[in-house]
Amino acid sequence: MDSRLLDILVDSFPKILIPGLTVTLPLTAIAFSIAMVIAVAAALAQFARVPVITPICRFYIWIFRGTPLLVQLFVVFFGMPKVGITIAPFPAAVIVFSLNEGAYCAETVRAALEAVPSGQLEAGLCAGLSYLQTMRRIILPQAMRTAFPPLSNSIIAMVKDTSLAANITVVEMLRATEQINARVYEPLALYIEVGLIYLLFSTVLTWLQRIGEKRLSAYENRGV
Amino acid sequence: MLLRVENVHKSFGALKVLKGVELSVDKGDVVAILGPSGSGKTTLLRCVNFLERADEGVLTFDGERFDLARMAKRDVSRLRKKTAFVFQSYNLFLNKTALENVTEGLITGRGIPKTEAIKTARRALDKVGMLDRADHYPSQLSGGQQQRTAIARAIAAQPEILYFDEPTSALDPELTGEVLAVMRQLAEEGMTMLVVTHELGFARTVSSQVVFMEGGVVVEAGPSRQIFEAPRQERTRVFLQTDQT
Repeated sequence: MDSRLLDILVDSFPKILIPGLTVTLPLTAIAFSIAMVIAVAAALAQFARVPVITPICRFYIWIFRGTPLLVQLFVVFFGMPKVGITIAPFPAAVIVFSLNEGAYCAETVRAALEAVPSGQLEAGLCAGLSYLQTMRRIILPQAMRTAFPPLSNSIIAMVKDTSLAANITVVEMLRATEQINARVYEPLALYIEVGLIYLLFSTVLTWLQRIGEKRLSAYENRGV
Repeated sequence: MLLRVENVHKSFGALKVLKGVELSVDKGDVVAILGPSGSGKTTLLRCVNFLERADEGVLTFDGERFDLARMAKRDVSRLRKKTAFVFQSYNLFLNKTALENVTEGLITGRGIPKTEAIKTARRALDKVGMLDRADHYPSQLSGGQQQRTAIARAIAAQPEILYFDEPTSALDPELTGEVLAVMRQLAEEGMTMLVVTHELGFARTVSSQVVFMEGGVVVEAGPSRQIFEAPRQERTRVFLQTDQT
């Protein structure tokens, strides 16, 4: 490797990593947290078949799973100003990623709720818990254990999907890389470099997933 | 009289499962509900504790009358706190230890302070011989141990009546005995129990009353001794004979 290329890679590394730490990861963390709140609420509403709310949830999930993420970003960032709602790039990305991810995760959580044996709910009610207490103390914790691996999948996918925010001028890792590349034109090296940083983030998350699963599985069968 | 149900009807779609069932339980009674599969005995028990909504029927509990088809939520949760239910498949809370299974209904359901609830729960676990497994999760317990824990969960809140839905049907024969022994002990202590069971031995030796159901109706009810020794109905006689061989 010639020394110019090496210099570029070394020089660009912090310039890509820092937007990763200050934009990509916060965007993922904030949007995923909001998405989880949406997902659990939408899943519980559907599980309990709450009238009015349930069809609204279905409609919301239908829209956000059925249209491209990039289109959603464009509608909110480029489209909304047309009706007088101008949102800065980062908040716009947070809104879209939260709603998009919330729709997918709602289905994950709903499936996990339905996988909890029905006897658990009956046992809770018969033990003197209210419906909501049973959901909160018995059903939801078990469902979240089931949902944990697919939700981990979702967050790993999301870290990478945040690169789409580059298209609405959020200077996250990919856009930072593009800016460097525009100056030095080393697309192969630079895009591989940013890819490796994404890989690093995903690896850390995979590792966290494994620790999380181990802690959550405390109650699962370890042999009698 | 602690509990009385009258004229209980319940259908699942076109299938009429209960066709006007009547039953009463006095304080201190151990009432066994016997009958072939599909006779509606489990459905009856589930209607009595509101796990199924009866299409019709009147429940009298502790002198209060309720319409089983139109129970208010408030009444359901109030009555459930006076009763307890032991399931065929145990239904222990899978994410809770044996101890937590017992304390959950006390602390969360009834607002009993934690230290007091733990004391009560440990007493209940001790009674069913599960104190040494208090920190085990259900997945780490045998079926018999799980069912005994479920009984501890049921008795901890000192219910006025215990409902059992075929409590030993999911157990291997060698584990059935340990559960029946606990039930026998409760009966001797005067606990009021309504038990759907296939265990004729238990019905004969432990229960004070027997209700024989078939086809969604009560065929015959009376003191266990009389039902076993001199059944009035031919159907009862045939059932008791065939089942004992």
